[in-house]
Amino acid sequence: MRPPVTGGRGGGGFRGGRDGGGRGFGGGRSFGGGRSGDRGRSGPRGRGRGAPRGRGGPPRGGMKGGSKVIVEPHRHAGVFIAKGKEDALVTKNLVPGEAVYNEKRISVQNEDGTKVEYRVWNPFRSKLAAAILGGVDNIWIKPGAKVLYLGAASGTTVSHVSDLVGPEGCVYAVEFSHRSGRDLVNMAKKRTNVIPIIEDARHPAKYRMLVGMVDVIFSDVAQPDQARILALNASFFLKTGGHFVISIKANCIDSTVAAEAVFQSEVKKLQQEQFKPAEQVTLEPFERDHACVVGGYRMPKKQKTPAS
Amino acid sequence: MSSLRNAIPRPAHKERSQPEARKRFGILEKHKDYIIRANAYHKKQETLKILRQKAAFKNPDEFNFKMINSKTVDGRHRPKDEVNKYSAEELMIMKTQDIGYVFQKWQSEKNKIDKLTASLQCTGDQSSRRHVYYAEDREEARELEVQGRSKSDISTVEIPKDIKKKMDRSYRDLEGRKSRAKDLEKLYTDMSMQKELQKKGRKRKLRDDELLNPNGKAVYKWRADRKR
Repeated sequence: MRPPVTGGRGGGGFRGGRDGGGRGFGGGRSFGGGRSGDRGRSGPRGRGRGAPRGRGGPPRGGMKGGSKVIVEPHRHAGVFIAKGKEDALVTKNLVPGEAVYNEKRISVQNEDGTKVEYRVWNPFRSKLAAAILGGVDNIWIKPGAKVLYLGAASGTTVSHVSDLVGPEGCVYAVEFSHRSGRDLVNMAKKRTNVIPIIEDARHPAKYRMLVGMVDVIFSDVAQPDQARILALNASFFLKTGGHFVISIKANCIDSTVAAEAVFQSEVKKLQQEQFKPAEQVTLEPFERDHACVVGGYRMPKKQKTPAS
Repeated sequence: MSSLRNAIPRPAHKERSQPEARKRFGILEKHKDYIIRANAYHKKQETLKILRQKAAFKNPDEFNFKMINSKTVDGRHRPKDEVNKYSAEELMIMKTQDIGYVFQKWQSEKNKIDKLTASLQCTGDQSSRRHVYYAEDREEARELEVQGRSKSDISTVEIPKDIKKKMDRSYRDLEGRKSRAKDLEKLYTDMSMQKELQKKGRKRKLRDDELLNPNGKAVYKWRADRKR
């Protein structure tokens, strides 16, 4: 194994200036336990799993033999890929030692001896993770961004978005149901950059005093009029030149029409509301008949270069 | 000066194996191998002698009911088959327990598959999805086309060999569990069908023209029974 050079490694392309997003490499877990590994308990007093260092001993002569997992930054800032026994999307845990929905946590030791904990992001339970794995070019949710999340449910994806935006960013999570909102509020108690809002997303005037100007709106409301809901919230909170990410479930819009036709009609509705869709990915094999549309809002017009 | 000679370390005696030119004669037997072989042979001979003595001293008028209630098949003693050993209810309960065991194993495999799938997400390549770009005019469309062709994937990151091996082993384990779960599901459905066929209730097998998608399996239709 080649020893890592400082300032980046391999063909991944080191991205400087990323505060807090340390890349993990070095001695990982050294227990020879089960194949899937144990998962930490979620809840108010979750047991942190600090991995003991490898068999290399205190001097750590070289990186050979100690590492079990490597974590590489994804091309989306704030998202990482862990490769080892697992092959998964991970985000850096904002609250180390705590799991949100009993997901697996990976502790990686840096070269300087500190530990970084990552949480595995399950694409079968998160539409945003499925979109990232689906190869979307840009999700516009990056460290420091302010995100309005419509349809937060229990807060599974909201917790990963809060990991993504980091302490400088902010996530306003809107959820209508009180049963899911309870889990969301409990998650927000530990993650201070999540602001839970238990309100109907169709009436953004009710929570306009809670939400500031945001950079990105992520919508996962699965309603027939989700384009209108997104447009309303965008007109209230989304800045000019901001971006939106909407997850479209074809069966919720119109279950009698083919999925492609539903996606196209939703894109047309969005285009009528000053949105400019940039790309659309389907979320197979994680979700069937789902698509994720990413684009901008009130984008400035392109300057026509004179034909030369 | 033999005590000084004992202090000098001697080269360890190594036993000679069969030379290459004599490999066709098998292993080179040493005396200790012969001892083991001779002991085994004599033990068997002694056992046979004792058995022959017991047979010679057998009482010709000896009788017990096993001589009638059992028989010898190919030199092995076997009890006679009991026709009505278990009642119909007991057989049904035993089949239910078998089905329950298979169902439990199937559920266990499915749970393990769910756990593994959460961590094995095929981050390298995916080919079953569509990626649509939206462009305002032709120049932008051409730019997007050029960009899409020269896109670099995240799988170009080089992975150390041992971690790659670990990843591949995890994926192979997942595939093995998936095939086992499929086999267990098929076994469970077959056993359930057999159990339903042995229950009461009037049923008939559907004819070939009545099957929607014939796949070689028999399809039955039960007559609707009023419950109360």
